[in-house]
Amino acid sequence: MYERLAQLDRRWIFLAMALAIGVPVLLQVKFPEVPGSQARAVFHEIEQLQPGDRVLLAWDFDPATEAELAPMATAFARHCCERKAKLYFITLLPVGPQMIEKTIDKVIRADFPDMVYGEDYVNLGFKSGNEAVIKVIVTNLRGLYTTDFRGTNLDVIPMCQPVESIQQMKLIVNVSGSYPGTKEWVQYAVTPYHSRLRMVAGCTGVQTPEMYPYVPNQLRGLLGAIKGASEYETLVADRYLGPKPDPKYLEARRRMGPQLVAHLLMVGLIIAGNVLFFLQRRAPRG
Amino acid sequence: MKRLIPLLITAIGGFVLIVSFFIPAWQEAGELVAVWFDVLASIAFILGGGNLLAVHLKKISDRAAGWGYSAVTLLAFGLTLWIGLFKVGTFPAPQTEYYGESFASLPVEALPEFSVAGTIPARGDGKPLPPSVRATNPPQLTAREGRLHFRGWITSAQTSDLLGYDETLAWRSRIEELSELAQPPAALRGKVRYHPQFGMLGFRGVMSDDDRQALEELFAGRPAGLAAVAALWTAAHRETRLERAAPPPSFQIPPEAAGVVQIERGALVVRGPMSEELREQLAVEWVHPPRVRPLPPEERAARRRKLEALGAPLTPEQAEALTIEFDTIWTPELLIQALNTAGLAPVENKTYRELLAERAAGVQPLVATKPPGENVRLNAAQEAAVRRFAHDVTMTPAQLAGELQQAGPFLPAQAEALQAFLREQPTEAELYTRIAFHLLKLHRANPAIPRPTSEQLRFLLAGTRELAAWRRQVDDLFRHSHVVKFPWSGDYGAPGSPFDWTFRYVFQPVTATMFAMLAFYVASAAFRAFRAKNVEAVLLLGTAFVILLMQTFVGVWLTRGFPPWLAFLQADELKRLITMIFVTAGSRAIMIGIALGVVATSLKILLGVDRSYLGSGDE
Repeated sequence: MYERLAQLDRRWIFLAMALAIGVPVLLQVKFPEVPGSQARAVFHEIEQLQPGDRVLLAWDFDPATEAELAPMATAFARHCCERKAKLYFITLLPVGPQMIEKTIDKVIRADFPDMVYGEDYVNLGFKSGNEAVIKVIVTNLRGLYTTDFRGTNLDVIPMCQPVESIQQMKLIVNVSGSYPGTKEWVQYAVTPYHSRLRMVAGCTGVQTPEMYPYVPNQLRGLLGAIKGASEYETLVADRYLGPKPDPKYLEARRRMGPQLVAHLLMVGLIIAGNVLFFLQRRAPRG
Repeated sequence: MKRLIPLLITAIGGFVLIVSFFIPAWQEAGELVAVWFDVLASIAFILGGGNLLAVHLKKISDRAAGWGYSAVTLLAFGLTLWIGLFKVGTFPAPQTEYYGESFASLPVEALPEFSVAGTIPARGDGKPLPPSVRATNPPQLTAREGRLHFRGWITSAQTSDLLGYDETLAWRSRIEELSELAQPPAALRGKVRYHPQFGMLGFRGVMSDDDRQALEELFAGRPAGLAAVAALWTAAHRETRLERAAPPPSFQIPPEAAGVVQIERGALVVRGPMSEELREQLAVEWVHPPRVRPLPPEERAARRRKLEALGAPLTPEQAEALTIEFDTIWTPELLIQALNTAGLAPVENKTYRELLAERAAGVQPLVATKPPGENVRLNAAQEAAVRRFAHDVTMTPAQLAGELQQAGPFLPAQAEALQAFLREQPTEAELYTRIAFHLLKLHRANPAIPRPTSEQLRFLLAGTRELAAWRRQVDDLFRHSHVVKFPWSGDYGAPGSPFDWTFRYVFQPVTATMFAMLAFYVASAAFRAFRAKNVEAVLLLGTAFVILLMQTFVGVWLTRGFPPWLAFLQADELKRLITMIFVTAGSRAIMIGIALGVVATSLKILLGVDRSYLGSGDE
């Protein structure tokens, strides 16, 4: 019998996982959220921005990690808009511009229609070269970016005219799903110009452990995966969005329900697998 | 040589980057190398595409296992490349289309030349003249024999660029003189202009016989110029028809526009290219939609009764919404304030030539502005006229302007401000639409508040629907009257383009699905492979449990009852301890190890000891 259980058709496990995720999604199961120290650090850092401060929003993620990272990108953008900062979007991934446009559509065009492109926010788009792009723009923005995403010369975009390099940014906010991402921004931008640049980031769960060594000196705060996003969303919603926030700003919290059940299933599967393992070892052979 | 040159490039590039990191004086050299790296990285995309083709074509050719997937990969690659590179289905960029303008090719040499005395000063930083005056071959601005020569008509942007080139009064005076001189004849100003970046002569609107004659005189003896004028004449007289045009009853074409727009046997006919201003005039201005005016309490009550007659009595929330929307309407005080602001005497700058003359006359210090004139404020009679206009719907803006002129001083700037103020006010239809959406939003936020009835919505949206239907027709006409100038100028990924469609509905779901499938495989692996076989595996299991639970509310729920002396075991604290101590220590050790390895490997590569990256084979 143990043998049969140990050889359980994996499609049963797939089905269990599908139910563990699907049922909470359909039932919209939500749990309360208690913001942790990192989420509070990120929130505090953005909260310090004054109207007109320049913020570089580096969206280094793609559709593969969008489910995990888009909620924190939305919350970051909303928070920066609330602080009336000037937003400079940039990406090091070829499909990043689409992610930026999604954020702009969802947050700025929908909820901040008074913000003017070129005066309050700009999409600088993608440039190939990974960390080499950071290496150049940290001292000379126009060395690589002569136009924005739409092909408009930076010299005719009012908010870009006075910007010589990204050292003039008050804060870098990075959302990173892979390489290049937070690590490269820390290594090539924040570390060499530590006295001038401040940075907060949000990463996938897989990346997060690699980023902890940079906290709190190079990274002022770090959001790890959907849990970090959910905690940060809670802080932003409590401070700015009133008693009935738009559901699009609570996407991470919505995803915490399926995550809880899925994690419990994982824990259960590991325990079940080990119990079977020990029972098999004890069972007489032959 | 085959290996030596790449080796040298790598070594020089690498050492320059290292040196530039430590020595600020080398920063620019480091930037240059990094920019070259970026250029090469872009080329790598082409090489990558070529490699992808080679690998998969070979697989298909060999009929290797899974060759069908290779075929699908190549098909998707080719399709994406085709719609992206050729911008299939994208609209041209609006900023380069110059709506309402006809274009004809014209070399810069065919344009008239203007000159003033002067030379081009050399800048201390060695920067050349601005690109906007060097875009053509030969350049538009040249200096010969002690004079500045400008070919063509100088634009305000070019003037601004040239003024910024040098800050001396002498240079700016010369540029000012040149920009006044290098202009089209008075009859053609605002109609004709040259686009040096495209090498095109542009003509705005419909070309009259007088315009054509003036242009032909201008280009007399220049065949290229005359040919351009002939082409512009043809383009500017192209007719576009909108059959079965159904304008709103209040639509009226003003007499001065009769040569451009006409209604002929039920069709709306536009001659020449249609500008965005003309589109707005056709769609809105010439329909003369009534603009909202302040509503007295009895009028507000009447409108509320009318709305209630089409459904149930309004709830307190709905009544409040109605009041909020009515309160957004302008007040006479706002209009008076706008007119008084427009009456403030503008601060006029002196010309650079005036300043130069003052300096030559020994005036010290030089003041850049002229003494301001007198401010003009509305008098009591004029304010009374404004208040009467606000509540008398039979009084037209033209009548108000007439009364204001009769009742006291009234500047042209104030007349313009009056027109602008009234143009910016919402129409009655827009006000009713806002009310409709406000009521719908109330219902959405709180279903206990009744939704407006269909009769109420029909009434509130009727005006907007009529205007929207007419706007659609005008937009069709606008599209058909425009001749696309630069079909490839649009953004390949613009919303609604095939590339965007492919991204949204193919690439995005496919990549998201691939990533999401990990959850299923990890679950299966957790059951089969995550065994506590030894001490290390037990530690790994324990950490995994803690992290899995702490990443959810379960962790908080399980540990929230711990007493203070066990506070370090509470979810957030435990997670912090694990991440900031154990994870950070482990990660740092790995990172330092990797960094040392990178240093060693980099030195081997830069010094040419390790040449494996150059490929196999001997020199």
